[in-house]
Amino acid sequence: MSDRIKKFLSSGTLFVWFCGTAVAASLLMVGGVLLLIMVNGLGFFWPHALVEMTLTDGTRVLGELKGEEVIPHSATPEFPEGKTRVRLKVGNRDLYGLDFRWVDTEHIASADSPKDVAAFERREWGNFYGRIREVSRGEDVVATGNQEGWKALQPLIEQANDLQEEIEHLQRDVIGDINFEIEGTRLRIRELELRGQDDAREVAELQAMTSQLETQYHKHVETLRALSRQLDEYSVLLVETNGQEKRLPVGQIVKALRPNDMDFFEKILRYFMNFWSVLSEEPREANTEGGISPAIFGTVMMVLIMSVAVVPFGVLAAFYLREYAKQGLIVRVIRIAVNNLAGVPSIVFGVFGLGFFVYAVGGTIDNLFYPEALPTPTFGTGGILWASFTLALLTVPVVIVSTEEGLSAVPREYREGSLALGATKFESMLRVILPCALPGILTGLILAVARATGEVAPLMLTGVVKLAPALPLDHHFPFLHFERKFMHLGFHIFDVGFQSPNVEAAKPMVYVTTLVLVMVVIVLNLSAVALRNYMQKKFKASAV
Amino acid sequence: MRRFVLANATRRFFSKGIVSLSFIVLAVGIGSAGQSWAASDSMVDPAWKDYTQVSGVSGNLNSIGSDTLNNLMTLWAEGFRKEYLNVKIQIEGKGSSTAPPALIEGTAQLGPMSRQMKAKEMDKFEAKFGYKATTFPVAVDALAVYVNKDNPVQCMSMEEVDAAFSKTRRRGHSVNIDTWGKAGLDGNWKDTRVSLYGRNSASGTYGFFKKKVLKKGDYKDEVKEQPGSASVVQGVTEDRGGLGYSGIGYRTSGVRAIRLSAKSGDGCFDPTFANASAGKYPLARFLYLYVNKAPGKPLPPLVAEFLKYVYSKAGQHIVIKDGYFPLPQTLIMKKLGEM
Repeated sequence: MSDRIKKFLSSGTLFVWFCGTAVAASLLMVGGVLLLIMVNGLGFFWPHALVEMTLTDGTRVLGELKGEEVIPHSATPEFPEGKTRVRLKVGNRDLYGLDFRWVDTEHIASADSPKDVAAFERREWGNFYGRIREVSRGEDVVATGNQEGWKALQPLIEQANDLQEEIEHLQRDVIGDINFEIEGTRLRIRELELRGQDDAREVAELQAMTSQLETQYHKHVETLRALSRQLDEYSVLLVETNGQEKRLPVGQIVKALRPNDMDFFEKILRYFMNFWSVLSEEPREANTEGGISPAIFGTVMMVLIMSVAVVPFGVLAAFYLREYAKQGLIVRVIRIAVNNLAGVPSIVFGVFGLGFFVYAVGGTIDNLFYPEALPTPTFGTGGILWASFTLALLTVPVVIVSTEEGLSAVPREYREGSLALGATKFESMLRVILPCALPGILTGLILAVARATGEVAPLMLTGVVKLAPALPLDHHFPFLHFERKFMHLGFHIFDVGFQSPNVEAAKPMVYVTTLVLVMVVIVLNLSAVALRNYMQKKFKASAV
Repeated sequence: MRRFVLANATRRFFSKGIVSLSFIVLAVGIGSAGQSWAASDSMVDPAWKDYTQVSGVSGNLNSIGSDTLNNLMTLWAEGFRKEYLNVKIQIEGKGSSTAPPALIEGTAQLGPMSRQMKAKEMDKFEAKFGYKATTFPVAVDALAVYVNKDNPVQCMSMEEVDAAFSKTRRRGHSVNIDTWGKAGLDGNWKDTRVSLYGRNSASGTYGFFKKKVLKKGDYKDEVKEQPGSASVVQGVTEDRGGLGYSGIGYRTSGVRAIRLSAKSGDGCFDPTFANASAGKYPLARFLYLYVNKAPGKPLPPLVAEFLKYVYSKAGQHIVIKDGYFPLPQTLIMKKLGEM
């Protein structure tokens, strides 16, 4: 018997089982997290059915059913499992004060899903659930009744959305350009003044340009006002389920749906449309509604800048440590220090980034190169460049370690062969060793990207904001604006989940943002993996 | 799937409907006895003025300060940007304590705070500039004490709230309230522990609550300090025995804001607009914007216009939208006069 146990133990089968269990447990955990996020996040886009309930006190409730729970300690002889209650998203925040409501199941006298109720997604105050009483143009009523109104409203909403797009284009592109130029000339004038070269002619020219631009600006603003008035031309009188009325300009409605009247395919279509609009739109209502596109953009761009910064530094450091430095006590100490750096809490890097990059480096840059903009800081405040550099510092140990691993895996014969053929040390390193070590370097990059994408704490100190007025990349020279503050998916999750009032309504947004963040991490990682495979293939071929 | 849940719920109801009918009358009374915060209309002061644009406003505006005001500032910024397309506004909200250093260092022109500046902070400001920071109240908040939606407690006196949150009990309540039984509940609530949720010490809400309720006493060590007002509400939602404090703007359907009385034996008042403006609710407070204004000199046009926007009809409607209470026009006129 004991022999068999001994044999079993020495055979290593137990160890295999251990390893298998560990792998299974990790996979389960990853799967569980993904499943949780997907279950909570993906449901958000589905056009949920609207339920209209009549309560026993005669009032009515209309909304989306959002869950059911057993009331704690409510078990009675008739209800051995306890009574239940349902949670409804009733919307109409401007009328009710809250978006959600709990209704005890025993208070529901009847419930059904009428086909004629509609959900209106509004630009402000969240959703409105109800019916249409009349559609009017100014004072004149165009259509009365729910059915007529619904028909009349559809083209109006489309028209309003087109108008809204035009307004946004005017605001962002046309007026944005003019403002950019005005600011540029203002800074130019200020610069000339500071240098003491304010020769009257040039300044006068610039000022003339400014006033010309300002005239243009005012002209466009007038157009904008006219368009906005056009938006408010039509209005719709809505009525909630208990008969309370609410007048709304059609321009306030993003979209109107009758989810109970939609078939399965329409719903699927709508699902993907909703998904796309969250990915592509700008946030509204202090980030709790609308899309997350600036946050996606900010996250990806920050990671790219970080990669560009971290790889050269990490690779050079690793080459020096492995190839040039005399192996000894100092190198060992440095290695230990690098490894320890990987364990420093990220917020510490954030504090360092704030003190060193933002205040010291950024402040100096401002004094030297942007004195005309002061006291408004240009680089002397958090920005995407400083955030990326801080993250680069955070991830540089990972790149160093894995590059060193890659270098140590290069066979000795390669180096010797290269040197024997007459190449210098530098040449053999560049032509032979670097290509062989590339997979290791890129593995380091993959790990660095994965770590950097999920990091939030240091960013909060070095340039992430709740709402950034402009993207760090646009069509204005020099295209990349490293000094700008940016939005980030991780911070967006923190902000919407923990800081926004009406946290109930914002909760699905948290899961959606998490889902998108995970997807961004996966896409970034996969592209790094693809790059690695491509490189591997290429160098294998060229090495032969 | 939703349909299924509902069908299930209604079927259960109908099968037992007759029996439960007798409960209903009773239960409706309790169920809806909550708070009917009427809609926004009752808070609107007809005297508010529309905002009028002026020319020559452009540039960058930075705001650093309170997280209670974070959302409100963002909403104002969104509205203000519609008036002036050439203005860029950046908002950071990590706690009221971050506002004074930002104003002193000049990294922000606006310092939103959910409490007044402490004397020490004001002294530092004065040491740098030679004059005091100017304060503008921009909204009214009723700091609400939240319990889980299932908690039947209706009213607590300030002494009781102090005895629940503080280990020093400066208000002199005789017992330490650590179970709901000691706050007057019975049944299965009697031995349920009071689980406390509060804010972190950088928050102005933390300071205000400590000053007003605890009379500058100490918080208990078991208060779970949360990074944001919304997480206090989240905590109380998930925790049946939860008790926490946060701005009234953070109310959700998972929690209930209880009525408070200034002294035990006094009348209890809901944290409503009417009670807050009549001074009956004991924890009403102003939310402030601090700015750097040299005496005798006008404010920078950008800051001045932002304040005017906040004090306009549109600005005060945004206050209502965010769940806080707006200011009466009389106060607004006074403050605009000071500008």
